[in-house]
Amino acid sequence: MCDFSGKLIAWLDRELPAEEASEVERHLEVCSECRADVDAYKRVSGEFDAYCDAAILLNKPRGGLRRWAAVAAAAGAVAALVALFLAMPRTRVPSPAFHPPQVAVADSPAVVAAALPASVTSIRRVHRRQSVARVSVQNASSASAPAQANYMQPDEPMIQIAIPADEMFPPGAVPEGMHFFADVTIAADGSAERLRLRPRLAGFERRVTQP
Amino acid sequence: MSGDAAPVALPLSRLSTGASETTKLYRELRKPLLRYLVCLGLSGDEAQDVVQDVFLILHRHLASGGSQENIRGWVFRVAHNQARNRQNRYDRNFSAASEAEMDAVSHGVTPERAVLEKEKFQQLGKAIRLLTASERECLLLRASGLRYREIGEVLGIATSTVNDTLDRAIKKLAEKCNV
Repeated sequence: MCDFSGKLIAWLDRELPAEEASEVERHLEVCSECRADVDAYKRVSGEFDAYCDAAILLNKPRGGLRRWAAVAAAAGAVAALVALFLAMPRTRVPSPAFHPPQVAVADSPAVVAAALPASVTSIRRVHRRQSVARVSVQNASSASAPAQANYMQPDEPMIQIAIPADEMFPPGAVPEGMHFFADVTIAADGSAERLRLRPRLAGFERRVTQP
Repeated sequence: MSGDAAPVALPLSRLSTGASETTKLYRELRKPLLRYLVCLGLSGDEAQDVVQDVFLILHRHLASGGSQENIRGWVFRVAHNQARNRQNRYDRNFSAASEAEMDAVSHGVTPERAVLEKEKFQQLGKAIRLLTASERECLLLRASGLRYREIGEVLGIATSTVNDTLDRAIKKLAEKCNV
């Protein structure tokens, strides 16, 4: 066996000091046996690489419970944030007990429903460019109202909560470009009645409502 | 209160300076890490879990001002230890692929080539399973692009030992596979 045999793989991997590497290169010029060995080591390294690639192909992660647990945790975190926001306007919304039951009156940046016809029992608002948060207000008699009118008020201010997923999660926990939409229903007493979170991928939320 | 207040915007900022660095490293190292872990014997999902854990630990490490020297080696070492903690799975042999699975891999090539590929893979698989755990680990880390010094750090062995182990492992594979 050639004296250089023990250095060939380290030479292939560029792990030899410069001087030793030069010696190996000079030797390879004259030793066909070592040249053949180097070729064999290269081939087997390539095949080992291919075998590893096949192993990952056969064991592709399916994205299990853990990822969705992270998304659920995110939903909880966003819900807590939204609830925090709703706590502010809640104190300013007059209780329906002191107002005519047909009219919902709210006075806050989140809910503005003054001077509506008496028959109007619900307000639905959609942001002009992006439905980040949709707030609907119902008073106590909404359930029995025969007809409900929806009013689009695109230019009004609204709560806008933008939470990029990559600020809240470790990399890879949610797909790139994902963020969350919140649908919030506010009860007549101003409390958050229902909260629905919808994950969205960037590029799929561009439905524009013209004023 | 008037109704024309400005929209409320959450003052979101980066959690820490480590976030972007972690993201960059994640994009670069996720695939090699997954491959390493799967080849160690973890299932795809287990490997994915370990990768997520590793990057959480990395994020905390960077956010707390931890050393950024040889971060690749650091990431692989944490992944290796995490895989070791799942000892019961880790004991399995190097991703022993079944015949049916190999059929799936060679799907799409000509029948003759598929047969050759399958035979070659089976032969290589047998040779790999005859290696010692240390030899397999060194080979896998080498295939992940780590330097000998980094491999030594991951496995807690000397660089010269890595050199000898790799030399032995590759020669065994070349001999068994008649390449």
